[in-house]
Amino acid sequence: MDEILAQLTRVRGVGGAVLVSHDGLTMASSLRSGIDENALAAAVGDVLGMAQRVASSLELGAFLGFSTTTDQGALLILVTGPAFVVLLTDAGANLALVQIESKPLVERLGARLAL
Amino acid sequence: MESELERLRKKVENFPSASLYTRLAELSRQSGDLVGAEAACRRCMREFPRSAQSYVILAEMKIATGAKSEAVQLIATAIEKEPRSYQALRLAADLADSPTKAIKHLQAILVFKPGDGPASARLQELGGSPAAGSGRVAKPSAPVVSAPSPVLTPPVAVRRDSPLPMPSPVTAAIRSATAPRAAALDALCQEAGVRGACVADAQGRIIASKQLSGRDDILAALGAETLRVAATSLLAAGAGAPNSFSLLAAAGQVLAFTRDHRITVLVLADPGVRPAMLELRARQALIDLGAV
Repeated sequence: MDEILAQLTRVRGVGGAVLVSHDGLTMASSLRSGIDENALAAAVGDVLGMAQRVASSLELGAFLGFSTTTDQGALLILVTGPAFVVLLTDAGANLALVQIESKPLVERLGARLAL
Repeated sequence: MESELERLRKKVENFPSASLYTRLAELSRQSGDLVGAEAACRRCMREFPRSAQSYVILAEMKIATGAKSEAVQLIATAIEKEPRSYQALRLAADLADSPTKAIKHLQAILVFKPGDGPASARLQELGGSPAAGSGRVAKPSAPVVSAPSPVLTPPVAVRRDSPLPMPSPVTAAIRSATAPRAAALDALCQEAGVRGACVADAQGRIIASKQLSGRDDILAALGAETLRVAATSLLAAGAGAPNSFSLLAAAGQVLAFTRDHRITVLVLADPGVRPAMLELRARQALIDLGAV
């Protein structure tokens, strides 16, 4: 899984990747130094809880993904089997392209987790 | 009462809360310690800025001392913080400088408290009618404003030709006040795939809303909270405050575009809609509303 995460960080525009369980625990990560992976995973856990609440309250069906942008970059949360991949992107990254290019790797992670 | 006051003072020092501060303010006022009561209200406002009750108590004290303009400002703040505060709306109706404004406050009460005797009777005195959606209005059996405040506006018969449109008891009061602002969302809501949109502040209070069929309150509240947790995760990632978020689900998506994390446009859309398509419209709505 570490290898797949490392490949994800080689997708153009992606600066880091973390595999997070549904309850906000780090399962694997490939982050640049200076970012606390556990703090990030815990914060992502809160986002996931809220996102699922929004989807349920507004009757939008199953939660599929979340992204949030800032002037410094973006944070993407993608569903992969029972877990979630968090991608940190650089400012100006094309988020649609990042999602397309990372999709096969995210699916490989999901398949690995299903084993 | 003195021992109760002392107990409350100690408790509020050790475990401060908005309800303890307001209880302390009420007791202090009853015991004649107006300085202590005002100090408790001011501390509550400072430490618990979302609490409306301290504003109401202080406004009542200001009315008693004849400081009407200060009371009016305090009540306006209380209603801004808690649009369904019965006490604040009653005081606002009493302090209103025109019957039309008083009627508006009384109608807002009847939306969340249908059939309230005092509000209904005062409304009848003023010649107003209950807002649509406020339900049955009880016939008051006794004079409602039994002890009119000295600052009460003299009743003047003003009849409304049509009641305010208030489809949902939950958000009706807010919506009636924000209806003209909804025009800022027209262009956004005309985009393909957009089901509806609203504009909310950082506390999840609705500023404007369009086409959300009573779901604007939940979208605004949860949208504001999602933005808050997104900001925490971005902080953990070493990034700045969020400009937007997109939440995708099987049967729809929620998009949010914010300005300085103060005012946010929240859009409910079909799953296939691309955020970039709507961002320009949403940012324009923020400009139209004066948020930029």
